[in-house]
Amino acid sequence: MTKLISQRAIASLLSLLGLLVLVFFLSRLTGDPAALFLPIDATEEMKAQFRAINGLDLPLIEQFGRYVWDFIHLDFGESLRKARPAIDVVLEAYAWTFPLALITMALVIVASIVLGALAAFNVGGFFDRLVSIVSLIGASAPDFWIAIVAIVIFSINLAWLPTSGVGTPWHWIMPIGVLFIRPFGLIVQVVRGSMLAALTAPYVKTARAKGVRNLPIIFVHTLRNAMLPVITVIGDQAAAMLNGAVIVETIFGFPGIGKLMIDSILQRDFNVVLAAIMVTAIAIFLMNILIDIAYGLLDPRIRH
Amino acid sequence: MSAQQRCSRLVTLQREVELIFKHVLVAALLASTAVAPAMAQSDTDITVVLSEELDLVEPCMATRSNIGRVIMQNISETLTELDVRGDTGLMPRLAESWEDKGDGTWQFKLREGVTFSDGSTFDAADVKHSFDRVFSEEMTCESARYFADTELTFNVVDDHTIDVKAEPAQPILPLLMSLVTIVPSETPMEFVRDPIGTGPYVMSDWTAGQQIVLTRRDDYWGEAPAVTSATYLFRSEPAVRAAMVETGEADIAPQITEVEATNPATDFTYPNSETVYLRIDQTVEPMGDLRVRKALNAAIDREAFIGTVLAAGTELATAMVPPTTLGWNPDLEPHPYDPEQAKAWLAEAEADGVNVKAPVEVIARTENFPHVTEVGEALVQMLNEVGFNASLRMVEVAEHEQYYSKPYPEGRPAQLVVAQHDNSRGDPVFSMYFKYHSEGTQSGVNDPKADELIEKATAATDAERAALWSELFAYVHDEIVADALLFHMVGHSRVSERLDFTPTIATNQQLQLAGIGFK
Repeated sequence: MTKLISQRAIASLLSLLGLLVLVFFLSRLTGDPAALFLPIDATEEMKAQFRAINGLDLPLIEQFGRYVWDFIHLDFGESLRKARPAIDVVLEAYAWTFPLALITMALVIVASIVLGALAAFNVGGFFDRLVSIVSLIGASAPDFWIAIVAIVIFSINLAWLPTSGVGTPWHWIMPIGVLFIRPFGLIVQVVRGSMLAALTAPYVKTARAKGVRNLPIIFVHTLRNAMLPVITVIGDQAAAMLNGAVIVETIFGFPGIGKLMIDSILQRDFNVVLAAIMVTAIAIFLMNILIDIAYGLLDPRIRH
Repeated sequence: MSAQQRCSRLVTLQREVELIFKHVLVAALLASTAVAPAMAQSDTDITVVLSEELDLVEPCMATRSNIGRVIMQNISETLTELDVRGDTGLMPRLAESWEDKGDGTWQFKLREGVTFSDGSTFDAADVKHSFDRVFSEEMTCESARYFADTELTFNVVDDHTIDVKAEPAQPILPLLMSLVTIVPSETPMEFVRDPIGTGPYVMSDWTAGQQIVLTRRDDYWGEAPAVTSATYLFRSEPAVRAAMVETGEADIAPQITEVEATNPATDFTYPNSETVYLRIDQTVEPMGDLRVRKALNAAIDREAFIGTVLAAGTELATAMVPPTTLGWNPDLEPHPYDPEQAKAWLAEAEADGVNVKAPVEVIARTENFPHVTEVGEALVQMLNEVGFNASLRMVEVAEHEQYYSKPYPEGRPAQLVVAQHDNSRGDPVFSMYFKYHSEGTQSGVNDPKADELIEKATAATDAERAALWSELFAYVHDEIVADALLFHMVGHSRVSERLDFTPTIATNQQLQLAGIGFK
């Protein structure tokens, strides 16, 4: 197991370096940040001055050398637009994205496993049909539409929740609710399918013959065996969430990493783009290692 | 398994699940009674919701509209102030009076008894330092562009008198003073995060990503404004901004869309000083031919856009600047829609060997203004109806800039750039050089008479200046048909009914809290 994890860590480190090189040069291909930082009628001298102050007038390879040197010293450079360290800007945003992703994924995992398992137990019944319909609607409804409709219903008509922002726990309900729907719809279907197969196994019949009650059969005996494909999908969905939720962040004014990344790309704020991609990549690599550990815990055959 | 067995299993399962849900429900009910969204604030505190967060709260960047809306005349003040909405013209602010001493020198008498929010006293040295910062090599301040070819020398006469010498002489120096904010002489030569100014408000909180709060100062030199504190929030979705005023979470939402502006009691529509036009690059065939440019103008049914894809209230443009600008020419008429005449002009040009069938790209920027794509599509349709070979290309802001500003790409086909230009500064000098002078960064014109008129008007004063600008407007619109001027746009804002505030053309650049009252 330790060997597996260390192998994974080395592979992750290599891809991280590859990513650094790729993003550095690709972002520079998009053009000159001075043209976007300064107004359209700025003089050529002003643009040249902006480039000189920010080291953008140096040969590209020298810029890269400096960047790598600073990067080794954990210095991600200054944000061109915000005149403060890029890493501060990114970590500030990540401090919002991370709890949002964590809470949402926790709710998604609990809800989809419980409901998916119960639906599989009663296949073709009313509850199964209900879960299937709800989850399919969830997986296919566009989130920007759900978000706007939620604001109209819960903020304007019912006046229960604030429209947007992050001041109180109440502000989190709608963003979490909207983010919840799509991965829930997807994972509940995977759980259901995987459980259907597992419930036909001979050991289930044995357990039932011994007089084990229904809930322990579902959640103790069968679920563990049905979890492997589910974990894979959960990992996929969690990675998407760690990347930020651009639409939810935009509509609810939630200061997360997704919108920051898009804005920085559009404004050619290279250092912020790089720092954001590095931080996100590290988060996703760490999560993948956790997923590997989870596989091992669930299935001893992988561990050995 | 038998139906009976199955049934009994389901009943047991149901009971087990019910028991669990009962606990969850009780817990949820307990939690929901605990708190309700609290949004209480003092009656004279207001909340403003803007469309984008500020990257910087730096006084020397206050001419960038999203920064200016928060800083300008709220935190930082300028020597002079332009009355954009009325006809008072240039008004004193930190300067009480000014005088042309001849030879390019202007003398400014500064207001006494003014203090910065850090307690220091405002004097002539602060004015000099503020300009030193603008021109500093160590930072890139936006307001420097207004003095691009002018060398300014500052001479502190006494604490409250300063001479400013401009080379070459700058007839509108007092007006340019309305664009540079004054900071204390201790301000470092780098972007600051805690702006200090002489204005009626001080920034008391800036939580990046969330809010900026301005609080009223007790020791402001002027009359105390009614608003005690203003919280700025940032939401990029216009529907959310409008909803926030509706639910009472915010009091002012500038920049909502026409679709949102449905409540006559709270929603205002007003000219926003933006002008939309088609920039013609005359160096590429067939746009160098006057008849082709005339045909292009006659092909566009401008009226058809208003009240359909563009908001009602939008006006037809005859100049690059809004009618509130010095020298605006009331005698100019928009080019009439006349497709038959347009076809005739094109046929005439073709007969003379002009390749009127050359491909023409109409380039527009996504999200430049509401319904820009529809406007672009309609324009292309109208051009093709009279015989142009036009197609539409929608691009991002960065790519748009490459086509809009010089140097233009080599080997390009004829390009018509849909662009929006904002001038609420009161004088055409901020527009005409860039758009029509042969050296102008976004100019597609290369005409000696236009160059001469621009240079003369820039150097002239008073009535002569107005007359020269007027002449230039007529020349580029009627004589050389330099571009296809289209619309003076309108903006929409939602204002809470508890406020006594009417947004105007000035709201695009600044939002003076002192101008807001309560009903």
